[in-house]
Amino acid sequence: MSQPRPSSRQAFDEPLWWLLFSAGGVCFAVLLPATILFFGVLAPLGLLPSNAITAERMTALVFSLPDLAAIGALICLPLFHAAHRCRHGLLDLRLGNDGINKWFMYGLAALLSFAALSLVALGLWR
Amino acid sequence: MNRPPDAFPRLPRSWWLKHRYFKAYMLREATVLPLIFFLLCLMGGLWALYRGEEAWAAWLVFMRSPLVVALNLLALAASLYHAATFFVLFPRVMPLRLGRRAIAPQAIVAGQWVGVMIIGLLFFWLFGRT
Repeated sequence: MSQPRPSSRQAFDEPLWWLLFSAGGVCFAVLLPATILFFGVLAPLGLLPSNAITAERMTALVFSLPDLAAIGALICLPLFHAAHRCRHGLLDLRLGNDGINKWFMYGLAALLSFAALSLVALGLWR
Repeated sequence: MNRPPDAFPRLPRSWWLKHRYFKAYMLREATVLPLIFFLLCLMGGLWALYRGEEAWAAWLVFMRSPLVVALNLLALAASLYHAATFFVLFPRVMPLRLGRRAIAPQAIVAGQWVGVMIIGLLFFWLFGRT
């Protein structure tokens, strides 16, 4: 058996990964351009008003209940989108074993999502 | 006995270099690499904010380093390329109708770009004004 064969077991979990991938794709396309523009480019280049992103203002803004949803859309869903594409990229390049890649990628996305949401929750608690 | 046709013929690893459509596909797949970098930066910012004022200032200094700015500019370009290719898929996957009339694909694509602009305006309202 040198040829890879499709598994005889049904992949019940795949719709979940594709759903997270699609949701993350929408966030990546609609929400991320502005986020990257403001926090990856404009803020570092000093093009934002200096009092707009002070630690005090950002703390009040970030450690709030609505921001829990914002982090979900800006970090968690795009992470799952990226994980899915990385997994399928490795499959396209025939690198590694998909069974392992899959759990590694989605596991990492889940772990990082949990960390991001926990940070906001911890900041809220404080 | 004839062998049944193979459902999964083995492709060489370089299959995607053979056609420009395949290359464009792989480029599109690769847009997530700078995205991952930016997401990790954003998480670093979250962690810095949690630790306090000094850490936040240090994060801003880190974000200012030329390599980080260059990678984030790449991430910005990647997000726009992803958006451009993603938005044209929408009317193909899910054509919308208004009553009995179909909405033109161009209108659906334009509507999604308006969404990008609205988010941009929201960020401007939050962070761009004094």
